[in-house]
Amino acid sequence: MHKENSSISNFKRYVVKIVFPVLLLVGIIAAVFTFWFERKIILGNESCGAYKINRIINRTDVTEIPIFGSSRAEASFVPEILGSNYFNYGLEGTQENVMLFFLREECSKRYKQSPMIIVNIDLDGINTKSGDLANYLYNADHEGVKQLMADRYEAHYSIPFIKYIGQFENYFRYYLNNRMQLTKYSDKGAFIDKVVLPKKIMDELIEYRRKNQDVFLHEPELKKEFFKVINAFRERQFVFVIPPYHSCYFTNYKNPEDAKTFVNELKTLPNVKVFDFSSVIYPDSLFINTTHLNYNGAVRFTKEFKDSLNTLKKQ
Amino acid sequence: MLFNSIDFLYFFLVVTTLFFVLPHRTRWMLLLAASCFFYMFFKPEYILILAFTIVVDYYAGILIEQQTTKREKKKYLVISLFTNIGVLAMFKYYNFLNTNITGLFNLFDAENPIPYLSIILPIGLSFHTFQAMSYTIEVYRGNQKAEKHFGIYSLYVMFYPQLVAGPIERPQNILHQFYEKKQFNFDNALLGTNLIIIGLFKKMVIADRLAVYVNEVYKNLDTSNTISAWIAAVFFSLQIYCDFSGYSDIARGTAKFMGYDLMLNFNRPYLSRSVSEFWTRWHISLSSWFKDYLYIPLGGNRVSKPKLYRNLFIVFLVSGLWHGANFTFIIWGGLHAVYVLIGSLLPKIKNEGLPLKLVEQFLVFVFVTIAWVFFRAGSLDEAMQMMKLMFSNDISFNLTQLSAGKGPFNLALSFLAIIFLVLAYFLPIDMKFKNLKANIGFLIIAIFLLFVLSKDAQGEFIYFQF
Repeated sequence: MHKENSSISNFKRYVVKIVFPVLLLVGIIAAVFTFWFERKIILGNESCGAYKINRIINRTDVTEIPIFGSSRAEASFVPEILGSNYFNYGLEGTQENVMLFFLREECSKRYKQSPMIIVNIDLDGINTKSGDLANYLYNADHEGVKQLMADRYEAHYSIPFIKYIGQFENYFRYYLNNRMQLTKYSDKGAFIDKVVLPKKIMDELIEYRRKNQDVFLHEPELKKEFFKVINAFRERQFVFVIPPYHSCYFTNYKNPEDAKTFVNELKTLPNVKVFDFSSVIYPDSLFINTTHLNYNGAVRFTKEFKDSLNTLKKQ
Repeated sequence: MLFNSIDFLYFFLVVTTLFFVLPHRTRWMLLLAASCFFYMFFKPEYILILAFTIVVDYYAGILIEQQTTKREKKKYLVISLFTNIGVLAMFKYYNFLNTNITGLFNLFDAENPIPYLSIILPIGLSFHTFQAMSYTIEVYRGNQKAEKHFGIYSLYVMFYPQLVAGPIERPQNILHQFYEKKQFNFDNALLGTNLIIIGLFKKMVIADRLAVYVNEVYKNLDTSNTISAWIAAVFFSLQIYCDFSGYSDIARGTAKFMGYDLMLNFNRPYLSRSVSEFWTRWHISLSSWFKDYLYIPLGGNRVSKPKLYRNLFIVFLVSGLWHGANFTFIIWGGLHAVYVLIGSLLPKIKNEGLPLKLVEQFLVFVFVTIAWVFFRAGSLDEAMQMMKLMFSNDISFNLTQLSAGKGPFNLALSFLAIIFLVLAYFLPIDMKFKNLKANIGFLIIAIFLLFVLSKDAQGEFIYFQF
């Protein structure tokens, strides 16, 4: 009896003296930290994916011209070259399902003053890929965002602080890159490598690409949705752009005719204009790998794209 | 079930609560059931292998004790050892041996008729097999009475905190503890909590962080240079320490919470001043196993010099082979044998000053780090490529190579992790804080940092593969 009492009193002592104060203090520190973290690290950083998602959901600037797409969009378009009202919403590791989310959010606002939407196209097709979970956690309770997370969504993503466990690093990395601009250039959502790759590494990447086959694939349902959105918002001008690839990308490209068919289908829509830079050959020094430009490459491409855009505007 | 998973948190809370709620006489059943569940979480069918060796060793222990002559006792000991080593050989070494036989056949343009087995190594096989063997050996030696309670004996082999990656316990240390009536004890709970948190911190904040760089360099040796190769080698030394000692800390902590004492497995090995000292501080439960059951029976130190050197080589080569069926592990073991041998030949320096101590610790770290290259590499070719890189002169300063393509932020976080490791050396070695406030302070800081700095992916423990 005495031993059992001792066991209970020991347990009570453990809860009161250890568990309770530790949880309480960790909770307080976590709450203060989360307040600072969300305001400074997430919302204070334009190149952060979570910021971009939050911006598209809550944006009120009617003059903004958005650029949507994958990491190729993020790393190819330099908004400041295009003009003061451009913003790069490109998200690393994502594909057309995410682009569709951005398009829906943008178009549902029905801005009359900023009809143009720039959309990056990748030559691997129309596919589903939602990329980094960190992009979605800040707005995890938003229905559209929940859909993007699909089966990755977990109940604890509604709990402040807890939802970021395991992901803090991603936000800090973007924040520091944005602040320090050491290896990356970042401005208005663009997030571009400044590094010029050593020849040895670039050659390895080219060799790898040549040995592996690339293919244009599309998910029929996603493609249908994609066209549905474009058709539903006829008042908006969609400018589709294929930024440059390294020439080796096409060495082993399985079905260029399918990609071409898709581009031609887009061209038939009255509110669509397509600029294809995929066949433009840039030197190795302008790439960070065989599918992404580095900063110098992005500057050159954006200037060329701007010229095309000016021609379009004159028309 | 991984210690660093949310599943384990639930499992631990449920099992520990039930442990203290249930009456003492039924606790062994709870622990055994929990251990089975824990093991079956990985691959359920392999519990049958474990059950088979448990039955054999249980009866072998009783029969050894019942025999009156040494010869008869030996007979049952041999049956037990043969069974355990047989299982180990079948699952761990059969295909390795067969690959080498195929190589021999290929030399003569012939085809190897022996078929390969399509089997996966049962998790923690080397650990529980060695623990089972230590039981029958100790019963044979008369140091341990044969356990008559089948459930308690099964629990000795299967006790979940140390089932899949040790510490490899001796029956004298743990068996009697299962008979002791455990009460919830404040000090045990606090120490258990400290050990679990520091273990998780070592694994999730330090080891998993360093693994990012290490894995990237080993994956891309062609594009790495001398600097990144050395950084990766040093990072791996620290990664494997934090990974394995972290696991041992969590194992000891979960057991301690319930009042069970498991042996200390790591004692700050990188403060060793010689490689032989390193082996008294690194994976202590395994090195002492080899010392007691292989090195001493071979004659230990009390033999002629050539025999002593032979014994050293045997122990370290077997130790290498214990880790994995690959020549890389054998070379790793062989290198340590050479280190210990050379260390024993060097004259003892009487100077005990700090500079000398630091030089010795540095040299031990460097030599151990070089040996770890073989341990980490997936093949001999990979190890040789890494060594070539480390000892070449490709020291071009390039940020992409320096950060192994993972960015400077990851590299900075890796160095931050190392700073935490150094700071951890200032914590009490037994994790018993002198005052409660300091202890609570440690828990708050460690838990908060664990939340903020841990990586998303659950990294498996390196030693699970053994």
